[in-house]
Amino acid sequence: NKSDDGDGEGQQALVAGYARKKIATLGELQTDEPAPIFYPYDNTDLNSLGFIVKLGTPAGGGVGPASDIVAFSSLCTHVGGDLSNTKKTYMKEHKILGPCPLHLTTFDLTRHGMVVAGHATESLPQIVLEVDGDDVYATGVLGLIYGKRDNADLPIVI
Amino acid sequence: MAKLKNIAQDKVPLPPPDAKVFTTCCDYCVVGCGYKVYRWPVGTEGGPKASENALGADYPVAPSSGKWVSPNMHNVVLVDGKQHHVIVIPDADAKVVNVGGTHSIRGGCIAQKCYNPNKPTRDRLQYPQLRVGDKLQRVSWDDAIEIMAAVSKHVLANYGENAWAQKMYSYQYFENTYALTKLAFRHIETLAFAFHDNPSNAEDTPAWRDMGFDNFPAAYEDYSLADTLFLSGTDPYETKTVIFQSWIMKGVEERGTKLIYVLPRKTTGVAFAESRGGLHLDLIPGTDTVLHMAIIRVILENGWEDKEWIEKFTATKWEQDSGFGRGIRDTGWQWRTTWGKLQGNDFGQYREWLLSQEESKLEVAERITGVAKEKFVRAAEMMAKPRADGTRIKTMLAMEKGNYWSNNYLNTASIGMLAVCCGAGNRPGQMLTRMGGHQRGGIQGGLYNIAKSPEKYPGRRRKPLDLDRWVEAGHVRYAYVVGTTWTTAMTGSQALASTLEKLTRGNPHQPTSTDKDAAIETLKKRVDSGGMMLVDQDIYLRHPIGAVIADIVLPAATWGEVDFARANGERRLRLYSKFYDPPGEAKPDWEIVAMFGKAMGFEGFDWKESNDVFEEAARFTRGSRKDYFPLVWLAKNKGIKAHDLLRAYGTHGIQAPIRYQDGELIGTKRLHDATVNLPETGPQGPTIHSKIMSAFNTQSGKINIQKSPWDLFSDFFEWQSPRPQDGELWVTNGRVNEIWQSGFDDIERRPYIIQRWPANFLEIHPDDAAARGIESGDELRVYSDRVPVQVSGFQGVRGAGKLDGDFSFTTLMKNGHIKLEKASVSAVAIVTPAVKKGVSFMFNLHTKNPANSLAPRVPDPLSDNYRYKLGVGKVEKVGESPYKHSFEQMSFGRRDLV
Repeated sequence: NKSDDGDGEGQQALVAGYARKKIATLGELQTDEPAPIFYPYDNTDLNSLGFIVKLGTPAGGGVGPASDIVAFSSLCTHVGGDLSNTKKTYMKEHKILGPCPLHLTTFDLTRHGMVVAGHATESLPQIVLEVDGDDVYATGVLGLIYGKRDNADLPIVI
Repeated sequence: MAKLKNIAQDKVPLPPPDAKVFTTCCDYCVVGCGYKVYRWPVGTEGGPKASENALGADYPVAPSSGKWVSPNMHNVVLVDGKQHHVIVIPDADAKVVNVGGTHSIRGGCIAQKCYNPNKPTRDRLQYPQLRVGDKLQRVSWDDAIEIMAAVSKHVLANYGENAWAQKMYSYQYFENTYALTKLAFRHIETLAFAFHDNPSNAEDTPAWRDMGFDNFPAAYEDYSLADTLFLSGTDPYETKTVIFQSWIMKGVEERGTKLIYVLPRKTTGVAFAESRGGLHLDLIPGTDTVLHMAIIRVILENGWEDKEWIEKFTATKWEQDSGFGRGIRDTGWQWRTTWGKLQGNDFGQYREWLLSQEESKLEVAERITGVAKEKFVRAAEMMAKPRADGTRIKTMLAMEKGNYWSNNYLNTASIGMLAVCCGAGNRPGQMLTRMGGHQRGGIQGGLYNIAKSPEKYPGRRRKPLDLDRWVEAGHVRYAYVVGTTWTTAMTGSQALASTLEKLTRGNPHQPTSTDKDAAIETLKKRVDSGGMMLVDQDIYLRHPIGAVIADIVLPAATWGEVDFARANGERRLRLYSKFYDPPGEAKPDWEIVAMFGKAMGFEGFDWKESNDVFEEAARFTRGSRKDYFPLVWLAKNKGIKAHDLLRAYGTHGIQAPIRYQDGELIGTKRLHDATVNLPETGPQGPTIHSKIMSAFNTQSGKINIQKSPWDLFSDFFEWQSPRPQDGELWVTNGRVNEIWQSGFDDIERRPYIIQRWPANFLEIHPDDAAARGIESGDELRVYSDRVPVQVSGFQGVRGAGKLDGDFSFTTLMKNGHIKLEKASVSAVAIVTPAVKKGVSFMFNLHTKNPANSLAPRVPDPLSDNYRYKLGVGKVEKVGESPYKHSFEQMSFGRRDLV
């Protein structure tokens, strides 16, 4: 379990019933260049909007040769602010996502999306990743995505 | 305690359509956001369609819907012994306070506060306990109360009322504060009394009282109506989160409000201010008075003061003295016996005085405050410079503990005068206010008879008794501690804890069984031998006050477990509904007081329910900022309980003072309001049109002019300032968004919060860190061998109002009333340029490592408030903390990013 760094005090995932879905290719991920992804559903589900990023520094739950590839939901867990404009919200020198355009919450991407400063009552939901050859798969979500009552609920089709 | 794991949930149950709904408010900070509680039996669950759940929403819900239930908003509680789900969610329908259902991280997690035997709150106190040897053992309520009453009677009869001390919170609901102060003041008649944040029964901001400003006159809406907002000693983003989200950001975004922050460190709110044309006055802790005076000098030299307003709303010498010839001679203002050093005759005289003060000169002020002098000019322009067309900008000033807990009287007097120069204090968007810490839940149920106080200034005037110093001097034989850690919350924490331990555990007379009569006998011997009995009443067993020091520990019931009422920072009264059972035999504080009062033979403690206390207490609010007497009167006329009438106002509540008019209750939006329309036919029914509604709170209804001479403070400040040659830094302290006000619940019991802040921390500037070989994540020892602790000396004799008078720091030191104590706390380093060089910052109230240990226990002699923010210490690395290389706990990310 990548999310436990061995001190026995780590986060645990309650993951069940998530589809295994290919979301990126290792060779195409450039350090500090986040790319949008959709998980657990596809782009018909606004609440599935997320991003994957190679941080260039090891991170909790990080995969790849340098354990630095992570993925998260793009919806702020405070009141659902849209963090998906990563040109503005991804602070590469700090490895922090934010501030949320609504109320300025920031999240630490090296630490499972923990709140750095702000109001969210949950860490930013982390997409659980696996690497198979050159392919990066999403296999689950740590935490409830904003707007949902159950990550497994079917999307509202747009 | 092993750290609790945070388990990220990926689903949450929704309330079914028939779930019971209760209204309440957050239990934590002063803002007092409205919440709804949905409760339903375990075994059922609502569905994701609007018709299938009580929230009436289709899931997934849209951003800012106010309808998303995060897993931390859910818990399971007991109702009549049966398990029920509860969702505690910000009120999406709120039109006031947290408009639309926004929330802070603390309120958003408040469901986790509820007692749940399967969660970390399982260690709630449930039964009365008596310490037998090293162990606390369960006893019956009857036995606990009888032991307390027997020893209390013995102490009162043999040692007098001031040997019986009470230390309590000032805020945890009207019903409780009224009952507790009724006991202490009306029946015990003790003067050995202090609230949780003060060494004596002192006022928070006596300079404002002297000038005529109320502490909480503003409406939250005012924050959105100002052109310039001067925020001193607090970042409301961190500590008044929803005022920031709902009201300050609204002003910034809709009308371009400019924010001026006065703080020694940069936090998110400061960074936001700077990104929107605002200003950061990054001062050295404790130097606000000089900063204010420098800005005032720029205003006066340019003639930017609001002359028309000053003419109309400030008192002349003769107006100050109006009112049956009593004038200022019989007010606290003169009681401070500084013999003319503080009171100004009128604004003209003040101008002369200010311009004659060396410290107000920009170069001098720059040296003392550490703030570049250009910033004083910029601040003055932003606050008071009229526009090109001659119109004035609207300036509002708000302050909190960084200001009045460093140099109380002078800082508040001088910010008051800065407000006067800006014409602020009595109009929409132009107010002077405290922002507040806790909610306003205090009603005083009796008179603190200061005329009998054993402590006095030189001259004839009495002072409220300094309880910490009184205990230290051995005068207390019985102490009743309610809902406060006492030691941790006071300055010089370690020294105070040692004293309390010595008087209790250090005494040879210790109960050896739970036999009631034997315990009474032993504890009487204890007090007769110079020791002390201590009773601690709380919701958890605190270290050390309950876990080590107390002889009896009593379990209190709290938020959600009893109906309570309280006001927030804009005087808004709401009912906090009971929605589940208290754990075990826990009882609300008022009920415990009633049991004790009856055992003591006192009359007037026959309350049956919370509402009885609420109704009785109303009389003691008449004419005050919290006046809700008309609500009780109207409820009686309607034949219903006052609690139920208040409940009908939901999370909206009603702002006090409450008026009755033509069959309705009318709230008061702001105090001192020159624009308010009170009926010309006069007050109706039980209504009081008190002066504070429409004028300032002085004899004349106008502001009394106040000077702020730096030399009343400078001897202490110079002694206390860090000595760089010894490697000292300021170790100031304050609140952090994620754990402020909720710390008593969540630092040990909320896994989501614990992973963020598993330990106390110390922010240190990169230059100061490099000089000490410190990196983020290192474990630090923060210590001092010169924490000044004032001892004895209750009778001031010489030198009223003189710098070498008995209460000046120089004289206290010379006469041996200052003892130097050692203190040491642990912290994890966070290296950041956000904190000023030479200044470090810790969270103030960490249970195990309280930064207050390093703060001086020498109260401001003018106000009796502690100078909490002026801690000083040395900092050294002891090794690496377990968090330095962990991805699971603690973040070292910067908090000043926008």
